[in-house]
Amino acid sequence: MAEIYFTKDHEWIKVEDNIGVVGITAYASEQLGDIVFVELPEEGITAEIGKDIAVVESVKAASEVYSPVSGTIIKSNEDLNSTPEIVNEDPVGKGWFYEIKISNNDELLGLMSEEEYQKHIGD
Amino acid sequence: MTEEGSWKQLFCHGDYMSEAYWGLEQNLKTTPLYKVHNDNRAKLVPFAGYNLPIQYENGIIAEHNHTRNSVSIFDVSHMGQIKISGPMIYDAMEKILPISFSKIAPGQIKYTQFLNNEGKIIDDLMICRTFEEDHVWLVVNADCTPKDLDHLYNNLNKTYKIELIKDRALIALQGPKSSNILKTFFQEIDDMAFMTADWFNYNNENFFISRCGYTGEDGFEISIKDRHAEKFINELLQCEGVKLAGLGARNSLRMEAGLCLYGNDISSSVSPIEAGLTWSIPKERIENGGFIGHESIKKDLENGVERKLVGIKPLGKLPAREGAQILDKNEKTIGKITSGGYSPSLQAPIAMGYINSDILKNNYEVLLDVRGNLIPAEITSLPFVEHKYFRGNK
Repeated sequence: MAEIYFTKDHEWIKVEDNIGVVGITAYASEQLGDIVFVELPEEGITAEIGKDIAVVESVKAASEVYSPVSGTIIKSNEDLNSTPEIVNEDPVGKGWFYEIKISNNDELLGLMSEEEYQKHIGD
Repeated sequence: MTEEGSWKQLFCHGDYMSEAYWGLEQNLKTTPLYKVHNDNRAKLVPFAGYNLPIQYENGIIAEHNHTRNSVSIFDVSHMGQIKISGPMIYDAMEKILPISFSKIAPGQIKYTQFLNNEGKIIDDLMICRTFEEDHVWLVVNADCTPKDLDHLYNNLNKTYKIELIKDRALIALQGPKSSNILKTFFQEIDDMAFMTADWFNYNNENFFISRCGYTGEDGFEISIKDRHAEKFINELLQCEGVKLAGLGARNSLRMEAGLCLYGNDISSSVSPIEAGLTWSIPKERIENGGFIGHESIKKDLENGVERKLVGIKPLGKLPAREGAQILDKNEKTIGKITSGGYSPSLQAPIAMGYINSDILKNNYEVLLDVRGNLIPAEITSLPFVEHKYFRGNK
């Protein structure tokens, strides 16, 4: 059963064993408005926790996405190249960004639960 | 995730942007249409000292496309409306602005610029030669209003009265169906040509209506007393097909139309010749002079300028935004993007920027530095989307 964690910067990560799927939250996608381009990380590169790994371009602006954990990128969501708007339509589902092989599961302890995240955006 | 660029505030403040107290806390002003914005679930952002809608619930792309296909309302009440009156007003204004009143019929509007002594742009503006001969009516950029007023006070003597109109909202109605809508309120509107203005009456209220805009479409700017603005907007919104649109769509529409944004594409370090605005200065003014900045403008035209504003089409899908460097094939910097983003009409990125004149020609292939990625792009002429102004019923 996959577990979902959140960052204060509005990324989510669904984790099963030591593989994570990363995207941005519904709150983030709504704030950004119409998304027109996502610059995804290349497979095989190393991500570092808290460092920028992807860029979301909405009509309004470019926004950086920070990796919730460290690890190696296994796969990027190629559907976003042709239909970036699925990030708006289904941010925590079909609008995922990349899959990552997590190098240190302890990093997950520093992330927020869904409940904590809801509280965070409600502040 | 964090937001780069000029819309930073939007993301940081999140949901609270719709709460009135943000306005108070940041000393932001509100326009007379604040309630309309909130009633229509606007996403409000600080802009030019005001709390203004960047978009409503349908989003920027939908609002943009609706404006191109139908008709949208924009609240542009933040812009400065200035009335200047006094004897021989045209002679006085011609000393400040590079325009010829002898070529401007009563009721006509001209696009022009305030220039400094070096011939650089203090602000760009619309000026109307009203049917009343004692005054002119100006609409200037919100952020520039204080320095524009200083400029006017410094260059007009005390016999001229300079009034900043503080009790009138300004509403832009833009899109191919705008005259169909507006003529249900003002029958005569149908015959107005683009770039003319006049006073109209509706429900015993005086409206100053200009047929002009900032989208490349036919449209109107309606100046109305604050206290009536909300009621009038709500009447407009009752009409079929009329929707609200925010600053986001206003920006993508004006970029497609190749229209300059003050602070981005033009500024006090740019001359109108560099910005491709030579068309706005009549030949006899360049020959005869007599306005602030004339010598520099004449020199720019005689000697040519080092850089020019051009359209840029990034190839591919990645938008290049303001500040991105423009490079030649040898990766040598040859210019900089001043406005850039996504064009909903072309479904592709577009940009405007300055390029060294000596290498300039159409379809010149360049590279854009977007966060270290070098993106191929081509130089193109402006506008990206043809203007559809209404030139009269003749």
